[in-house]
Amino acid sequence: MGEQAGLPSAGIMTSAFVDAAELMARVLGAEGYPFVTIEHPMASAGPGELHERGRRAAEACLPLLVTG
Amino acid sequence: MLELTSKRHELDDFAAVQEQFHERGWTDGLPVVPPTPDAVVAMLEAALLPADHLVGVEPVRGRAITAEKVAINSVMAGCRPEQFPVVVTALTAMLADEFQLHGPTASTGGAAVLVIVNGPARREAGMSGGFSALGGGDRAATCIGRAVRLCLINLFDVRPGGIDRSTLGHPGKLGYCLAEDEEGEFGPTPAELWPSLGDERLDLAGGPEAGLVSSVTVVASLAPRQFMNEWTKAPEEILDTYAAEIRANMRHYSIWPGNYVMVVPPQLRAHLVAAGWSKADVRARVYERARMLRREWGEVGKGAVVGDKGEREYPALEDPDQLLVVAAGGPAGGFGAVIPPWLGTRSHAVTVPVGACVNC
Repeated sequence: MGEQAGLPSAGIMTSAFVDAAELMARVLGAEGYPFVTIEHPMASAGPGELHERGRRAAEACLPLLVTG
Repeated sequence: MLELTSKRHELDDFAAVQEQFHERGWTDGLPVVPPTPDAVVAMLEAALLPADHLVGVEPVRGRAITAEKVAINSVMAGCRPEQFPVVVTALTAMLADEFQLHGPTASTGGAAVLVIVNGPARREAGMSGGFSALGGGDRAATCIGRAVRLCLINLFDVRPGGIDRSTLGHPGKLGYCLAEDEEGEFGPTPAELWPSLGDERLDLAGGPEAGLVSSVTVVASLAPRQFMNEWTKAPEEILDTYAAEIRANMRHYSIWPGNYVMVVPPQLRAHLVAAGWSKADVRARVYERARMLRREWGEVGKGAVVGDKGEREYPALEDPDQLLVVAAGGPAGGFGAVIPPWLGTRSHAVTVPVGACVNC
């Protein structure tokens, strides 16, 4: 949606939702749309785990935001 | 016009239809009635709808949902034509913005669309609202509920593991349809005290059109939670058991307020009516009693999310009218049921009159 509005965007999914994200991209006409995958689940992760996942996700998002 | 535009498939026999439909993912796993053009046209004629009537727009992809597509799935589900107006009204309600269809049908929470039917259309469709009201009670409710599910599968791609990410789901996902016992066939339901859910939500209760307008209410719902209390006649005590069941859901599942459905079978209903308690009285009592403190989460293994808000009180309902009270069930048994919402107010119950022309 962000891309369609001309806004550089990066999707982040947890590993349990990778196939759901691929399916949604396909039905929205954007098959193969790249996104970042992080570990699942989130809700039971401690603060340290969350911080580390966030750091890795931010690094992985960067190339998605600056390439077409 | 009743010119059908869907792609046609020529198949040799009934068995070939079943295998073809299963292989293509067009069924819920049960056999389907072959949706022949004549059968589809009969559905449309029963609802006086043209094939290209726009029922609504699918929210994610912007796909138009036409009456023809809903009719095909209704035939497949085993519906008779007189049941089709209820199905198409349910789809109309599900596609209203406030229902947020994609959320409850895609969520890991595993909700189903509960369809509650009021007014003359119930009887025309052959629904009873009596014995086994919440599952398998009669052909009409079974087929209408199944038609809604087949529409989700075939028109919205809501297949388990696809759009549907339900972790567990529940049996109501096969079909979740309920008629209200408005006539009191199985227990007292005086209209002045217990107006129908549809009349209440369409603001018809007590007026000249009360009981005359058919309607369908859709609610994104979890499985029913049944309880038993046949050891009292006191309305306060009966309703405290309902409230306790709601609190159990708040403690174990979700603390957020939303459209809870409360199903009141005849045995308990008789005590409430005998004491002069109206549906509004019932809602007011449950609104007061169905609430919890956040620290109660610490008693059920959720202490990690109590934080510093332990003494904060959370109501199950933002206001009494958020509770949907439905009279239904067989004549004997001190049972009741609470049907929790999918997830707070992320989806709102929607009521639509049967036969109403939207955007005409």
